[in-house]
Amino acid sequence: MPHKPPTKEELERRKTVGIHEETVTNVSANDFPMNYPGEDHSWDIEAFKRNFRVEFHQNDPFEASFSLVGCDASIANAFRRIMIADIPTLAVETVFINNNTSVIQDEVLAHRLGLIPFKGGREGLHKFLKWWRRPADESQINNSYYDFNTVLLRLDVRCEHNEDAAPGETDPTKLYKHAHVYARDIEFCPVGRQSRYFSGDDVIAPVHPDILIAKLRPGQEISLTMHMHKGVGSDHAKFSPVATASYRLMPVIQIERPILGADAEKFARCFPRGVIGLEPVTKEEASRKGSGYEGHEGELKAVVVDPMRDTVSRECLRHEEFKGKVKLGRRRDHFIFLVESTGQWESDAIFLEAVAHLKKRAQDLEKQVINMVR
Amino acid sequence: MSREEYQVPNTGSGNSPAIGGGSFNAGQRDFSGESGGGVIYYICGDCAVRVPLERDTPIRCQKCGARVLYKERTKRMVQFEAR
Repeated sequence: MPHKPPTKEELERRKTVGIHEETVTNVSANDFPMNYPGEDHSWDIEAFKRNFRVEFHQNDPFEASFSLVGCDASIANAFRRIMIADIPTLAVETVFINNNTSVIQDEVLAHRLGLIPFKGGREGLHKFLKWWRRPADESQINNSYYDFNTVLLRLDVRCEHNEDAAPGETDPTKLYKHAHVYARDIEFCPVGRQSRYFSGDDVIAPVHPDILIAKLRPGQEISLTMHMHKGVGSDHAKFSPVATASYRLMPVIQIERPILGADAEKFARCFPRGVIGLEPVTKEEASRKGSGYEGHEGELKAVVVDPMRDTVSRECLRHEEFKGKVKLGRRRDHFIFLVESTGQWESDAIFLEAVAHLKKRAQDLEKQVINMVR
Repeated sequence: MSREEYQVPNTGSGNSPAIGGGSFNAGQRDFSGESGGGVIYYICGDCAVRVPLERDTPIRCQKCGARVLYKERTKRMVQFEAR
């Protein structure tokens, strides 16, 4: 029997994960060689180029949402993991505390300072600044700090009584000077060529100036200097350039049989707002035999408007009146990414950097494999 | 040992039975060289004022009379990893 190429519905069915009342079916990819008799599913760069596409839904400095359509979960997951753990950022690494008489302990204060996200000139951060490596000989550590691998910060705050405070004042921020220490009190001290890369708008400063670091009372003091280094998220979460980078699969909602009238309104309420819309049944639909709309002209029917906004809560599967009328699923090769930047990188630049990083890793591996078989 | 029997250790006398007069007393340490003329500053536990104390002065805040005094923080720099 000659092989028949798969129909459009069959192709659609193959790449849809089935979501039922209590089970999830058809979860693994099936487009690999020898899986379907007579079909060649070996990986092909031309076929990949034809089918792959990227759509941006939102692109703000701190938040980007985009879809990768037509790629495998392993690739999408690699991008997610690289964005979280392998894109370098600058963060506070060492804290030299001269004096800290506040109630917050030195260790805790140092940890809090490490987690503050900083911003600065892109060229200086990504091109000028290099890695700092701890020297093998510990006694040489003071000769390892240069302007291209270390950024110096200073924080000197002392709390005093405010003489001008109104009598009977109870608000500590008005009663005392410097009762709250904020991230904006951190002062950047440029060294060497740093003033060329980090001046004006490009100065190294906290992304959010209102981060509360500590609270002081009169007589208490915090006086410290900090060293910032470049690092990656796999070393410590403070180096991760993203607050979150995640993906989900595109939801699929298929209305198999008509849902009309009050049922349609109830059906729409089973989903987040905007996923299901209500439209009147047209004359043409009502006159078609076997469509299920006969004699319902003008009544409201449920239609799928925007499945991307669905959370796939499966609420509609719990109700008796929708049994057999709706099928839920997810598109296996449609990844909706959400990348939330902490501020040092533009959120879309993080993804581009992840692509470049994966490419470089692959090229490094290729070289090693060639060396191995030589 | 009951509370009444306890004797305050006295480095000056050297014959107190409570501390046995061993090597502890052999070299009497002179604190006058440290911190300028034997004065060491403490922090009052009640009013947070700096209290200068010399040897043999009662452990008491001159301002408010509180008997709880704390050592001052070290003047040295302390290094931490921000992790």
